[in-house]
Amino acid sequence: MAVSTIYSTQALNSTHFLTSSPSSSTSKQVFFYRRHQSQTNRRFNTIITCAAQQTVVIGLAADSGCGKSTFMRRLTSVFGGAAEPPKGGNPDSNTLISDMTTVICLDDYHSLDRTGRKEKGVTALDPRANDFDLMYEQVKALKSGIAVEKPIYNHVTGLLDAPELIQPPKILVIEGLHPMFDERVRELLDFSIYLDISNEVKFAWKIQRDMAERGHSLESIKASIEARKPDFDAFIDPQKQYADAVIEVLPTQLIPDDNEGKVLRVRLIMKEGVKYFSPVYLFDEGSTISWIPCGRKLTCSYPGIKFNYEPDTYFNHEVSVLEMDGQFDRLDELIYVESHLSNLSSKFYGEVTQQMLKHADFPGSNNGTGLFQTIVGLKIRDLYEQLIANKATAPAEAAKA
Amino acid sequence: MSATASHGGVMMLPSPSRPLQHQRPPTVTGSDMFRVRRKEPRGLRLVVAATAKYKGTKMREEKLSEMIEEKVKEATEVCEADVRSEECKVAWDEVEEVSQARADLRIKLKFLNQDPLESFCQENPETDECRIYED
Repeated sequence: MAVSTIYSTQALNSTHFLTSSPSSSTSKQVFFYRRHQSQTNRRFNTIITCAAQQTVVIGLAADSGCGKSTFMRRLTSVFGGAAEPPKGGNPDSNTLISDMTTVICLDDYHSLDRTGRKEKGVTALDPRANDFDLMYEQVKALKSGIAVEKPIYNHVTGLLDAPELIQPPKILVIEGLHPMFDERVRELLDFSIYLDISNEVKFAWKIQRDMAERGHSLESIKASIEARKPDFDAFIDPQKQYADAVIEVLPTQLIPDDNEGKVLRVRLIMKEGVKYFSPVYLFDEGSTISWIPCGRKLTCSYPGIKFNYEPDTYFNHEVSVLEMDGQFDRLDELIYVESHLSNLSSKFYGEVTQQMLKHADFPGSNNGTGLFQTIVGLKIRDLYEQLIANKATAPAEAAKA
Repeated sequence: MSATASHGGVMMLPSPSRPLQHQRPPTVTGSDMFRVRRKEPRGLRLVVAATAKYKGTKMREEKLSEMIEEKVKEATEVCEADVRSEECKVAWDEVEEVSQARADLRIKLKFLNQDPLESFCQENPETDECRIYED
């Protein structure tokens, strides 16, 4: 905590800006306070709000690095504003910036470019292709409110381009293959998410993604997944044990032998006991619930919707698991489901539905992926607000003492 | 649509007359809902086709597609010798990287209506890359 001089003036109910020189030279701190003089000789009330940067850091682990632009869009839209690439910079930048959030792609910390990796015989999944020291230094700097010159990995050319200046945001999201790989970086994360796509769904999605390309065929798509699997299982998959929330995407159980991957079973695995994070629940917290909303009050089209909620253990941690199988077809299904979920951290009735509708054209809008991504977005907002409130009251209490 | 439950643990949310307080209700209901883009309260939003706006972006799209084709060929050849070799792994990883880059560009243009060259071309409209692409 910085030591600063507090000046008092005679003015009543006025606000004053003071700049103090804190003991640490790395951060600028502006103290903003209001002195309220009362009639009696009661001690004056001083509200000191530290306006210095309080960056909240979120980690998101997903395969295919930074392709989760729709997940990011959902997350950032909860805070308002559209996330866009930095203006006037490198057009191949992977960074996204909105009013409150900055999303950094961890591929930018590749220590080896495409040629380098070919020479050394390592894939991008291999930790040897990534500079974790730099990643740690820069995330730490941003978290403390210091701007950094971050490298840019150009996915088109496969080269490392000139760095771009990143200002410390209110919320920093680091997304990519290794956000939780390095222990020091893990310690900096206020919240972490792992997107766990099962093999069958991955295959189905990659078919949807690649079949239109003239170079690809079913065989090439399959071969690519198979070849990357050993490195993926060795380096990426183990990170899920560290995540505060895991979104697991599996094939549906509602349609026998479905292999199109269009209807999905999505599980939101939420760690218990995480500070500022209260898991979403259905009906009765800590119990086991199986719920099919479709019936007399709500008619759904095939294959319907099925929810499950239960406590469980995941890598020796206590977790709560909320699961949705099936898809939404109509607005009233979505609202009906929302009205039965608890601890959503929404600010008004229907907020989840509204957020889903905002991005109704994004993939996953009609199933658990969109729903849980949206809910995770609300949880992050809640965590952010609690963290900020907590940090604001601490200095004020110190001043009163 | 009122949820009835006697258990104290259920969060009873009041059902307002309009479920979405801050937005106009969507103009389309039924199964079309998730397929039709909702109209903005103010004016119409133009639905832009999923093609590049600038020549430079179009060139990037084509370059990526070509690279996919090349790298798939390369990987298939390299892996003929030994499917578990490092070279084979790296070759398919490159295919994945380029395929994802291609898909990302497509997503940006189609869903986000963001041409990566947008802000660069506003500053430098006279460059060749920034010529408006015409089909």
